[in-house]
Amino acid sequence: MSEAKFRLRVTYQKVGPVRFLSHLETARACERSIRRAGLPYAVTHGFNPHMRIAFGPALPVGTAGRAEMYDVWLTELVGPDDALERLRHATREELRAIACRYVDPKGPSLAAAADVAHYEVAVSGPPEVAESIARGLSSVSRSGTLTVEHKGKQKVFELATTLLKEPVVRPVDEGAVVEVVTRMSEQGSLRPDALVKAALGPALAGVASVSVTRTRLASRAADGTEEAL
Amino acid sequence: MSDAVREAVERLLPGVEQPSRYVGCEWNAIDRRATAQPYRAVLAYPDVYDVGMANQAIQILYAMLNALEGVACERVFVPWKDMADALRSAGVALYALESFDPVNEFDLVGITLPHELAYTNVLELLDLAGIPLHAEDRSDAHPLVVGGGPCAYNPEPLAPFFDAVLVGDGEVAAVEIVQTHRRCKQAHMTRRETLAELAKIQGVYVPSLGQHRVLRRAVADLDAHRSPACPVVPYTDVVHDRVAVEVLRGCARGCRFCQAGTIYRPVRERRPDSIVRDAMAALRCTGYDEVSLTSLSTADHSAFVEVLGRLGRRLQGTDISISVPSLRADALTPDVARLLGKAKRTGLTIAPEAGTQRLRDVINKNITEDGLLDTVARAFASGWRRVKLYFMIGLPTETDDDVAGIGELVGRVLAAARDAVPANERGSVRVGVSVSTFVPKPHTPFQWEAQPPLEEVHRRQELLRERMPRKGVELSYHDAEASFVEAVLACGGREVAAAVEAAWRRGARFDAWTEQFSLDRWRAAFEESGLDASAIANRPRDPFEPLPWSHISSGVSTAYLRAERERAFAGQTTPDCTFAGCTGCGVCGALGVSNVIAGGVRV
Repeated sequence: MSEAKFRLRVTYQKVGPVRFLSHLETARACERSIRRAGLPYAVTHGFNPHMRIAFGPALPVGTAGRAEMYDVWLTELVGPDDALERLRHATREELRAIACRYVDPKGPSLAAAADVAHYEVAVSGPPEVAESIARGLSSVSRSGTLTVEHKGKQKVFELATTLLKEPVVRPVDEGAVVEVVTRMSEQGSLRPDALVKAALGPALAGVASVSVTRTRLASRAADGTEEAL
Repeated sequence: MSDAVREAVERLLPGVEQPSRYVGCEWNAIDRRATAQPYRAVLAYPDVYDVGMANQAIQILYAMLNALEGVACERVFVPWKDMADALRSAGVALYALESFDPVNEFDLVGITLPHELAYTNVLELLDLAGIPLHAEDRSDAHPLVVGGGPCAYNPEPLAPFFDAVLVGDGEVAAVEIVQTHRRCKQAHMTRRETLAELAKIQGVYVPSLGQHRVLRRAVADLDAHRSPACPVVPYTDVVHDRVAVEVLRGCARGCRFCQAGTIYRPVRERRPDSIVRDAMAALRCTGYDEVSLTSLSTADHSAFVEVLGRLGRRLQGTDISISVPSLRADALTPDVARLLGKAKRTGLTIAPEAGTQRLRDVINKNITEDGLLDTVARAFASGWRRVKLYFMIGLPTETDDDVAGIGELVGRVLAAARDAVPANERGSVRVGVSVSTFVPKPHTPFQWEAQPPLEEVHRRQELLRERMPRKGVELSYHDAEASFVEAVLACGGREVAAAVEAAWRRGARFDAWTEQFSLDRWRAAFEESGLDASAIANRPRDPFEPLPWSHISSGVSTAYLRAERERAFAGQTTPDCTFAGCTGCGVCGALGVSNVIAGGVRV
């Protein structure tokens, strides 16, 4: 069997209805697109051979992604542009590959390296919703922590360490868009919609929908600056 | 319209289990833009997406209808209870997966009828779509509702709900139905006139025209129709999540309880070249990591070893595996074991059906105990550690000795398996034993037989439990209560339709899902509709009395079925006509077809 020599990092989007796929379903769909693209992917040795591939941090079901990532190991070098072209022909627009590049095969895993996530939270509602969010956010941040309940368990987030930037609220035609940058850790990550819903408080009742898009994944250097993955 | 539906649905999805069932936009699904054709059909499977997408008929017909000029074909499945309830309370009508357009706006809704316990789901589907349940209540504005699949062979229990039912293979007939309907629409014919036109197509039954005689459709040559090269690839983890290539259709082994053994006759094998070509094409077009060679009994293919070898060579060094879901007991030759050993080693499944040779002769199951034990020994010696055995309780002429015989046979299988593995691995040997209840099925030699009453089935199950070895055996029973309802729905006439509707109105849906099934609900429905269910399921019939499905012909003659019944009671077996000579079932003459054996002879 050929060696897994080359580590191709693929950036793809997960938008529209496919944002409702689970992480496992998304992973399977990406693997199938690699087979369809005919890329020379490496296969693990052992009783049940499978594709050598590793995914970045999972997106919650319902959250869209504009720049999600996986690494696939190849046995032969394929030009990154060529690889991208082949993947684009093998994926639906909703799960389209949008960038390919090679990374150090011995570098850290995507899951470990990606510890910064940028989000856009779109809130559709009355025009004054942007203002209520902004007000709510400042009162939430004054309190210093946010308690989120998920599957019956309560989790407390220290906002000073969890939020890497002050959230930005922009009014748009039919509501508001909130930009949130969070730190991801093994202890769990704050879901930005939880933050926005907490900020809305009782005003949430007047909101038609809250939808989240992860726009960028990055890694945080020791000096606190952000590095692309 | 579709954007509004899409938005409404997306608001519901965060609150339901497995939303990927409802989003569409799978790879190889037709483009949303391509859905706007002059004629629009939607294919429905009466169960959830995960089950329905494993159905090969849906994939075959989807590809065929979408290849027609001016026709767009979409899919729809029954939403699971959470989603169905959410759609109802939000006032959103059931939509087709490609366009998100409401199902009731289509020209034709084709519903597969895979088994009787899906009947309440047919009503659930129609109701969610906002289509009147009764064909007589539909206007020219409603879609034509057409059924098909194995249960079309006794269409009466669902007759009031269907405009038309296709009996037999859909490859050619479905296209004829669509084109005839399209022509009638263009000519502005009424629904009644249209149905009269449809009834002229061979294989099409129109219940509103009375019980007219229908002769089933059968394609003469399977190779004239390619296995879908680009089947739709689901995101959801579906039941059979792989490329499926049908290698042959039909089985002439002649098990006397088996409906598939009659309604898919004769045997039609695909050539090895086509099988390998279609498998490789579909793998390339889907990106799956598994290809499955499907049929009622895949190892019966006269070139099975050749096909396995050729595919194995093509897939060597990849992560793509080959699976064979149905292996005959005597098919696991050293060659096959070696070829499959390289592939994914799923469980080995064997169906002796009965515990004694006497009863196996009655049902014409040509498995001998020695053959079975040899196969098991060979399989365990070449690495298998599990085998699953299928049995049936309540078969005609069954005695307590036959029931006890199942336990004894399982004991010998267990011993043979343990003897074939190294001493330190004996603890890992597992024999799964799955026991179902005999359900008399229309168009079989046992169509006149009675299912034993429930209490008697329970007594025999208990007897079997006592006789079954404990260690290393995992015993499971198919729900006897569900099998009773299955028998009523399988053997009943048009009077059963009211009970199906009453059961659905009482909340029956997903009856095939054990935890959803309720016998009490069905009993209440039978009572409400004045049906003596036991007189349908537990009563032996006279072989000369008219049956509710007598007007539907599979091509196999009733005289042959009667003769087979006689032979059963005399303990005489009947050979497979693809190995020995013609046994005179009549199907080839009636339908103008014949066995197609790709390798020339079967071995």
